[in-house]
Amino acid sequence: MTGDGAATNGRRPWVLGIDTATSRVVVAAAAPEGTFLGATTWEAGYRHGEQLLPAIGRLHGELNLRRSRITAIVVGTGPGAFTGLRVGIATAKALAHSLGRPIIGVSSAEALIAAATDRATPPERVVLLLPAGASDRIVVRPGQAPELLPGGSDPDLAEDEVLVAVDLEGRAPPDASARGTRARDGLATSLMRLGTERLAAGEEDDLARLVPDYVTLPRGVKAASGEVAWSRDHR
Amino acid sequence: MSGPLILAVESSCDETAIAVVEGGRRILSNVVASQTALHAATGGIVPEVAARAHLRWIVPVLDEALAGAGVSVPDVDAVAVTYGPGLAGSLLVGINFAKTLAYVHDKPLVGVNHLEGHLYAAWLLDPGEAERGAPVFPLVALIVSGGHTFLVEMRDHLTYRLLGQTVDDAAGEAFDKVGRLLGLPYPGGPAIQGAAENATRHDAVFPRAWLGDTYDFSFSGLKTAARRTVDEARVAAGLPVGLALEAGADARLPEATTAELAWGFQDSVVDVLATKTIRAAEEVDARTIVLGGGVAANAALRARIAAEAEARSLLLNVPRPGLCTDNGAMIGAAAAWRFEAGDLASLDLDARPSLPLARREPVTR
Ligand SMILES: [Zn+2]
Repeated sequence: MTGDGAATNGRRPWVLGIDTATSRVVVAAAAPEGTFLGATTWEAGYRHGEQLLPAIGRLHGELNLRRSRITAIVVGTGPGAFTGLRVGIATAKALAHSLGRPIIGVSSAEALIAAATDRATPPERVVLLLPAGASDRIVVRPGQAPELLPGGSDPDLAEDEVLVAVDLEGRAPPDASARGTRARDGLATSLMRLGTERLAAGEEDDLARLVPDYVTLPRGVKAASGEVAWSRDHR
Repeated sequence: MSGPLILAVESSCDETAIAVVEGGRRILSNVVASQTALHAATGGIVPEVAARAHLRWIVPVLDEALAGAGVSVPDVDAVAVTYGPGLAGSLLVGINFAKTLAYVHDKPLVGVNHLEGHLYAAWLLDPGEAERGAPVFPLVALIVSGGHTFLVEMRDHLTYRLLGQTVDDAAGEAFDKVGRLLGLPYPGGPAIQGAAENATRHDAVFPRAWLGDTYDFSFSGLKTAARRTVDEARVAAGLPVGLALEAGADARLPEATTAELAWGFQDSVVDVLATKTIRAAEEVDARTIVLGGGVAANAALRARIAAEAEARSLLLNVPRPGLCTDNGAMIGAAAAWRFEAGDLASLDLDARPSLPLARREPVTR
């Protein structure tokens, strides 16, 4: 737990953030204008679904915030671990629906790039590397569509580009993984900053249509689009 | 009508379904977003695509179910959700969505076994439907779909004894596979039934896997036999075999041949399912037979079991087709009994992709 939650009086409005795209789950709180209030993070393992709601309850309890004062839900949309993203987005959608509050999707990759950025490394020089299954990896450059990097191949880096590898220990150069760990540690604050910026700009996502960013589709699948058939069952 | 008002969420496979059910019987609303059309392009369910579609449709389905029932979440007594068996990724969407609804609205959460839901579809009444008797115990239920094939005995509520189940493929999978072999559209069940209705000779014979005196089922041998029979028919008709089977409409067998083969395959599946169901009902002195699952919509299976049940003065309960396939109402029906029994789930409920319905015991009576 980090943050300055002690200063809150229980009635202050706040924004809840959730990111389940990396191996470290993030539940965070920020003031609507962007001030970071605190976060709790933990190693996801295979059981995101069992821990997420209790963690949200603990976070707002410890920060002396009330669930009824949530003004928006920010959720990381990936790309990242399929299981985590399903749990995180399903939970965020039900929260937004139940509380009648807007939902704001933030690219987890964009948030990680923001977290890896500093004076020496501006965002345009960051190249993010993420796992995609057991052998493939995903390359993300700021403002560009993520690309799949098949197993065995390495990213093509320009001389001034800096590789940041998240959740790739042993599958990326050690210095890139070290930068990745630092980026992941900064994910909670950058997620909340990007989310509250969108909120301040009056943006929100369509609660129904928000889905995870998948970079790869399963073998044999040509497009993720397609319709479903509705039955309202009036007979 | 009395009894708890349940909001039920089902997402175990490829239908995103939410219903509002009162007292374990009366449907107030029952909304299903079916991904069948989405999966037709790939010839079957792709788990990643299914999970994403659940996330895309779950909020509109909830809104529609609440509006249809004229209730809001604070009005319900509990939120129920399927937690297994099923596809892990699909289950997770419904579970986490339902848990969060229960958490925010401070409602009890009820975890329901999907298979138990299929059994409880037999209790459901449509909006406006006249009251009728509930299924009478003891009962034997045959649940057959693309995902399940099992026979179970119920002597009371929430009490199940598994009599038998498939040892390999589900019956519905065999329908899909043989439908593809015959060049029929996905899903195979309705397509094969439709083709079989045009058969005139009724002389195609496919093998039956009886597996001795057990109540188990096997359809893999039947699939292999079907492939061989279709290949032979194609050679006889001067058509390419093997991979060329996927080639499209021009390369299809003559319609009359397709009809006979569809009939022969369906007759084999129906014969085994019906024979074992009736034998089980006699052995456990059942008073009622319940059918469920998507394959229960098959007209030949319904007709055969209806005739045999009538000859033995057994009651037969077959929910209408929309309640035989996966839906939220059946989860709401089962959940009412769990809720009344005080069997509540906690907020750490997780997906159980291989959740069993009941322990298996030898049939001795
Ligand atoms: Zn089912």
